[in-house]
Amino acid sequence: MSKPVKSQWDFGELFSLAETRKVLSVWELASDIKRLLEKSVGSVWVSGEITNLRAQNSGHVYFTLKDAAAQLSCVLFSREKVARRELLADGQKVLLQGDVTVYEARGQYQLIVRAVELQGVGALQAQFEKLKQKLQAEGLFAAERKRALPKFPARIGLVTSPTGAAIRDVLHVVQRRNPALEVILAPARVQGDGAAREIAGAIRSLNEFNLSLATRYSPLDLILITRGGGSLEDLWAFNEEPVARAIFESKLPVVSAVGHEIDFTIADFVADVRAATPSAAAEIITEGVFASREFVSDALDLMRLRVHRCLTNAQQDFSSLAGRWSRRHPRRRLDESLQRLDDLQSGLLRGLKTAVRSRELALQNLAGRFLRAQPALTVKARRETLRQLEKRLHALGPQQVLARGYSITTDAASGMVVRNAALVKAGQKLKTQLAKGEIFSRSEP
Amino acid sequence: MSKPAKAGDAAKGNVPFEEALKKLEGIVDAMEADDLPLETLLARYEEGARLVKICQEKLAEAEVKIQQLEKTAAGEIKLKPHALSEE
Repeated sequence: MSKPVKSQWDFGELFSLAETRKVLSVWELASDIKRLLEKSVGSVWVSGEITNLRAQNSGHVYFTLKDAAAQLSCVLFSREKVARRELLADGQKVLLQGDVTVYEARGQYQLIVRAVELQGVGALQAQFEKLKQKLQAEGLFAAERKRALPKFPARIGLVTSPTGAAIRDVLHVVQRRNPALEVILAPARVQGDGAAREIAGAIRSLNEFNLSLATRYSPLDLILITRGGGSLEDLWAFNEEPVARAIFESKLPVVSAVGHEIDFTIADFVADVRAATPSAAAEIITEGVFASREFVSDALDLMRLRVHRCLTNAQQDFSSLAGRWSRRHPRRRLDESLQRLDDLQSGLLRGLKTAVRSRELALQNLAGRFLRAQPALTVKARRETLRQLEKRLHALGPQQVLARGYSITTDAASGMVVRNAALVKAGQKLKTQLAKGEIFSRSEP
Repeated sequence: MSKPAKAGDAAKGNVPFEEALKKLEGIVDAMEADDLPLETLLARYEEGARLVKICQEKLAEAEVKIQQLEKTAAGEIKLKPHALSEE
């Protein structure tokens, strides 16, 4: 930047600074603004959504009210008598009445809340709680007045929109699980203004119809009131008192199935049975018949099995009797004897064969031993021994002595050897043997 | 049956499903539990088979019957056939 050049017409400050400036303290300015705001804006109604909610121990509640374009700090002091202050929460749409002011300490403008009206979902929620508490106190939800549903309903009243998703879901399940179920539709709008009145009216009409026709046709077994899922506003009719009263007064048991699993309505609390969804309700209603379907289709098999078992048992009994009888029959004894005979016969043959075989073996054994003993050698050795023995015998025999000239005299009659001449009698016949030949003689007297 | 007699059913000789089912259950139970003579068993079987047929006919009805409640000008409640609107 170039050095500013002082103009020749610049005469400096004509008046002192203190005289030309009005200096305020911060507090003074804040107070001025506060006064200005409180005077020109003052008490207002403002609507928006709660965010950044902080409840302090003091009981004061601080939050920011916002819409798409702006934000406003708000404080709800504990001394303010605001109903259902506990329902304030982030995201809640509210209509606030209060005074705009400035909190000087922070230099921040804010709304001191005097009154709160819940808007949108918040308002409905509050109404819901209020009605719920009221009806609960009156005993409309009492567990002991809940009626059991008939197990095999044949005819049901259906309160719903004829064009909604719920009726299609319900009929689809019924068609699949119990097509014999008769459905009497009492059409009613299930959302928007007047829906609650129509629903209540439909419940009453079905009860009226049931009474009027009970003598001529099968009466209705139960009433199903239902609608598909939707926002809390969409389901609102089912949270209204006329519907609750109509359900409570219904002489027929009522099943309520509104929205999805997570949605609980006043109608659900008053009804005898609450189902999570329209389809679930249809399943509950058709359960008895559906379960019996399986029984019915199995029944024939069960009975056949029983008859079959009985016949089998009878057959077994018969067989066992027949068996016992035939064991008692004489021919049975004969058969047994014949069998025994067969056994013995074959045993005998077996024994014989065994005996022959064992002898064959023994023979083979002996033959083997015989061959191994080399009979030729043995015979030669024996012959030698025999020759020796013959020689020795020959040496010992009388023949050798006779050859040397001796002789042997014997009594011719007795053959006794004569060893003593004194014993020889006169005239005794004697026989004398020489080496060659014999001499017969008679002794001299 | 606790329900009042139904003229229409009686005319058609129609037995309500619930009644037929209860009888059938009784028969099957008895056949299972008791030691019945074969003749009795066969008689029960025939009766049971008849009831099975009745029950199955009930279950086999092709289309769910839907009627719609209607209030006449005179304020009387009547039934009219309801045609399911299929879009």
